[in-house]
Amino acid sequence: MSLLKEFRKGLWRENAVFRLLLGLCPTLAVTTSAEHGLGMGFATTFVLVGSNIVVSLLRKAIPSKVRIPAFIVIIASFVTVVQLCMEAYFYDLYKALGIFIPLIVVNCVILGRAEAFASKNRLLPAMADGLGMGTGFTLALFVLGAVRELFGSGTLLGFAVFGAGYQPFLLLILPPGAFIAMGLLLAGMNRFDTNRS
Amino acid sequence: MNGLPRLIVTLTLITVGAGLLLSLVESVTREPIAEQRRLEILRALQTVLPVFDNSPDADTVELVVGQDKKGRDQMRTFFRGRENGTLSGVAFTVIAPDGYSGNIGMMVGVDPRGTVVGLEILTHAETPGLGDKITRNEFKDQFKGKTLEGVDWRVKKDGGDFDQITGATISPRAVVKAVQQGLQFFLDHQAEVLTP
Repeated sequence: MSLLKEFRKGLWRENAVFRLLLGLCPTLAVTTSAEHGLGMGFATTFVLVGSNIVVSLLRKAIPSKVRIPAFIVIIASFVTVVQLCMEAYFYDLYKALGIFIPLIVVNCVILGRAEAFASKNRLLPAMADGLGMGTGFTLALFVLGAVRELFGSGTLLGFAVFGAGYQPFLLLILPPGAFIAMGLLLAGMNRFDTNRS
Repeated sequence: MNGLPRLIVTLTLITVGAGLLLSLVESVTREPIAEQRRLEILRALQTVLPVFDNSPDADTVELVVGQDKKGRDQMRTFFRGRENGTLSGVAFTVIAPDGYSGNIGMMVGVDPRGTVVGLEILTHAETPGLGDKITRNEFKDQFKGKTLEGVDWRVKKDGGDFDQITGATISPRAVVKAVQQGLQFFLDHQAEVLTP
């Protein structure tokens, strides 16, 4: 199944965060908790699938000279849709993610997939690609957010994991902790891949 | 159709489509968003005001607190809570401009004579794990029952009556100062705020 292949490549082999190292700005900034990571991941996935569908459908109509502005308009529209819906129905998450919701527009994963994949492929593969890349992105943000939340606040998805005596390792919640956690996770993944091959 | 006209027509069509989609979504979400913002204010009012049975967000007074950099008036809204028609308390928002990172927005509730009933932190960007402990009840509750007179409105480190937070003195200091100034403003304009 080639559709399954397009979906699966985003999960590990071409994972946007851990393999392509794309979209790191929101990744590092919002992953102070697993919940924020998930919220950002879902929002990005929605935009990614939506823009991949529209770009793929319009790929023959858009002249290559104006493709970048056209892609950006399409992406920005989906981002605004996400932002309005999140403010209307998930207000707390909207307030927590703040400025990083509108900034999804400039997440290079999305423009990257529109340019490299959706503009050259038919509807179904483009959808599978967007869904896979988005899921991989969400997983990466969830794992990073979970690690930082677990050691930085001693909770996971808001539930206390360690006893009350646990002294949180604050550094992981602060911005430098994002880089450190990310680096350690990357090293772990590389180790895993080297051992396997 | 080729060349320049085609570029212009394609881009125009795409932006028109985007505009249509966005106006549609906006019209659907407008009501829920307004409702969410109202609920947020109501939630804060519920925690800082004494018992009330009216809608304090509809029973308000607006006063000028100062001018911003461009010389326009800055307004402060006073939300009035009533029980059986009698005024039970007043809530207002104050902003501490001197937090550790950015503004700290909070809502203060007082009884008609100016005794603090409750404090709620609405917005802040203080350091997680340190400065953000100002949102904890242990910190906020020490404001309850305090009046402008007879209380030293400084943190203990500066010789005052308020507990600071270990490792973060700047955030509590900013909060204490802002609440004090808010109380002062309330007492100075008590008559205007309390008249129906």
